[in-house]
Amino acid sequence: MANLINAIVSGLIAGSLYAAMALGLTIIYGVSRVFNFGHGIVALLGAYIAWLFLGQMTGGLLAGTLVSLVAMFLFGLLVYRFTINPLLKKPGWETSTVLFLLGAGILLENVLLQVFGPRVKSIPSFLPGGLRLGAVQVNWHELSLVVIVLAAIAALNAFFKRTRTGQAMRSVAQSIPGAQVVGIDIDRIYGLTFGLAFAVTGFSGILLGTKYYLNPHIGWEWMVKGFVIVSFGGLGSTSGAIYAAVILGVVEAIAVLYLSAIWVWPIWFVLFMVLLLLRPQGILGGRL
Amino acid sequence: MQATKVLSWKSALMGLALLFLLAYPWLGASSYLKHLFILFFIWSVVAANWNLLMGYAGITSLGNIGFLAIGGYTSGILAKSFGLSPWVTIPIGGLAASLLVTLFLGLPALRLSGIYIALLSLIFADSLPSLLTQTRGITGGAMGLHEIPGFLPGMEKVHAYYISLAFFLAIQYILYRTVRSSTGLAFVALRDSEHLATTLGVNRFKERLKVFALSSFLTGVAGGVYVHSLGDISPTTLGIEPFLLGIAMMELGGIGTFAGPILGSAVIVFGNEFLRLAGTLRLALLGALICGIILFFPGGIMQLVERVEKWLRRRFNKLPPPSPGSRSHS
Amino acid sequence: MLEVRQLEARYGDLQVLRGVTLRVGEGEVVALFGPNGHGKSTLLKVLSGLHPPAAGKVGFNGQDITALPAHRIVELGIAYIPEERHLFRDLTVYENLNMGAYNMRARPKMASNLEFVFSIFPRLAERRDQMCSTLSGGESRMVAIARGLMSEPALLLVDEPSIGLSPGLRSAVFEAIGQINREKGITILIVEQEIRHALKLAGRIYMFKKGQVLFERPADEVDVAEIEKAYF
Repeated sequence: MANLINAIVSGLIAGSLYAAMALGLTIIYGVSRVFNFGHGIVALLGAYIAWLFLGQMTGGLLAGTLVSLVAMFLFGLLVYRFTINPLLKKPGWETSTVLFLLGAGILLENVLLQVFGPRVKSIPSFLPGGLRLGAVQVNWHELSLVVIVLAAIAALNAFFKRTRTGQAMRSVAQSIPGAQVVGIDIDRIYGLTFGLAFAVTGFSGILLGTKYYLNPHIGWEWMVKGFVIVSFGGLGSTSGAIYAAVILGVVEAIAVLYLSAIWVWPIWFVLFMVLLLLRPQGILGGRL
Repeated sequence: MQATKVLSWKSALMGLALLFLLAYPWLGASSYLKHLFILFFIWSVVAANWNLLMGYAGITSLGNIGFLAIGGYTSGILAKSFGLSPWVTIPIGGLAASLLVTLFLGLPALRLSGIYIALLSLIFADSLPSLLTQTRGITGGAMGLHEIPGFLPGMEKVHAYYISLAFFLAIQYILYRTVRSSTGLAFVALRDSEHLATTLGVNRFKERLKVFALSSFLTGVAGGVYVHSLGDISPTTLGIEPFLLGIAMMELGGIGTFAGPILGSAVIVFGNEFLRLAGTLRLALLGALICGIILFFPGGIMQLVERVEKWLRRRFNKLPPPSPGSRSHS
Repeated sequence: MLEVRQLEARYGDLQVLRGVTLRVGEGEVVALFGPNGHGKSTLLKVLSGLHPPAAGKVGFNGQDITALPAHRIVELGIAYIPEERHLFRDLTVYENLNMGAYNMRARPKMASNLEFVFSIFPRLAERRDQMCSTLSGGESRMVAIARGLMSEPALLLVDEPSIGLSPGLRSAVFEAIGQINREKGITILIVEQEIRHALKLAGRIYMFKKGQVLFERPADEVDVAEIEKAYF
């Protein structure tokens, strides 16, 4: 019993990290209908940038995180402006953006491999020690991760509800002609969306990097999980992605407990296939 | 008058190429080059069928290498473990691929929008390696299948060359006829304007299933040809590199054209040597190549060929270039 | 205020606008009549920047706005109310109106515009916090018009505001449009099939057919029968 509860707790924690990771994906899709097939690498890049500040450069994790956020935001803007934007203007963009982002993801992954090497990196946890509640063991670090994720989600929510730009993003997500007639510069909003999503994704990479080992290939794994999560939650719905991530995190943890770890991947695949066959619009479709 | 001139220019080239392919082994090709040609025959079929799905039918499918693997593994296992003749097992492999794909991709594709199909096909292909590892006993797991019997006992490279050439010609011919038939037109109609197509009586469901079934069958057959020509197959065929190579072949050649995938696969297969020189940067280069083509040369080689053709026509025939309505859109 | 000269537009290879010339003066209400599918909606889409022009010129208060993107045209003071409405369905009425005031000029005027909008469409005030996806046809029409007003426009391009509405609602909508013109001095170019009502509202009318202007008349010199005849 204790094992089960621990597994569930562990799953909730992993789920909240996955939620943070999936947000960027669903934000881009929700607003622009472009699916970022390089998503995992974006998360990894964000993590690597922060990691640089742990050894090579001074400043520590906080400075690294700030630099990462800014850098990833700018990167997202540039990627949109110079690559996605031209593709969107031509017919067949659904296919061309998919293939392009796939290719770009592989390119980036291998560049990271060259620059950072294949050895795993990790970002150290920032709080030692833990907590014992009866039979359940949680460490402070992981709890703090969950708190950070919750804070980030609340911040994003406030952004979408209260700021002009955030509201514009929501509007564009719902109706492009509607956004046009109220005077929203669609192109500018797309760029900002990419920037925001890349920053959020990079940030989630940093968080994940404190719990899991970083190497260029883990980006692919995160990405596939991200795909399943956002499909589950309904493409374009942030709340859906969050619930889906938590649910899938718990399911994964329970599966690992009762079956061995090699079954994790097949379970994700089976869930995904079942989901798409039964209810393609996602279990929890909602709005951005 | 001009149209027939252009037509015979292209068919003359094709005729020459065919003659060359037929005669090549006698012209003293090394074993290694014969091997490359075999790869070209097989890969061009994969690329051509992939192009049928993506270019002609407009379906973003990312799992086509999986079709190859299913066909290859099925044929290889049947031949090796049950002693059946490859001439029997190859079609069975094709059928197995077609069945699985139509079931797991084709049917869901009827109700899903583009991006979901892409995701599903990606996950489909991605799950095959772990399936292979779990069924180690039959499939050889991570080590793969080896010493798969060839088409004939005591088969030599040159036999494999001609047999795979025959398959290549047959399958490309089937695809050529399909593209030019009413089915091919239906695919394109659904791609370009689904609304109009359905009002004209094109049955979206039927055509979608057809294109999945056909392309996976032919790709599965190519998988069978692959294993019996080369003797081995392993989960690495399902890796990221073959996947990228396949995409590069289509993009480089020109998605949506008939000759594109063939030309693209020729360039990639024979150019792969240069890629190998790049060592660990291989994948990065492939990724960069794909990105570059999509951004700057979306029509691939065929687009280049068309431009050159137009320029030549204007230059040497002193006639105005053909009006937009007179040429069919490829 | 609005000068359109030899405007052309295409959908792919299909020529929809074949050289449209018309003008709308400040403070006027101008009606555009004509059969369906002859390009009236396309004309409004081109004027509002939602569709690219192929040739010709559009001038607004002396400024050439021909190739400007939609958001710039809204900033300059032209609001387009599409027939399809294009509301933000998962947002409330209030949130839609709020988005209507997105452009810089409109923001400081938001409170007063909101008040005006609720005064001419009292139904909307009641439904402030209701999701637009749950509104009736007439109500969503009102939200569409109201949202356009929130952008602080000088010129309103309205595409068939009364289509699909019950007679009572139709009158209410036309009444509101009249009020908008009288009380706010906003210039109106309205495309309509409801000839009778529109004729009462308008000062001048254009007859539009096959992508071109057929004729122009002051509204009091023409009657419904004449216009209906021109449809054929």
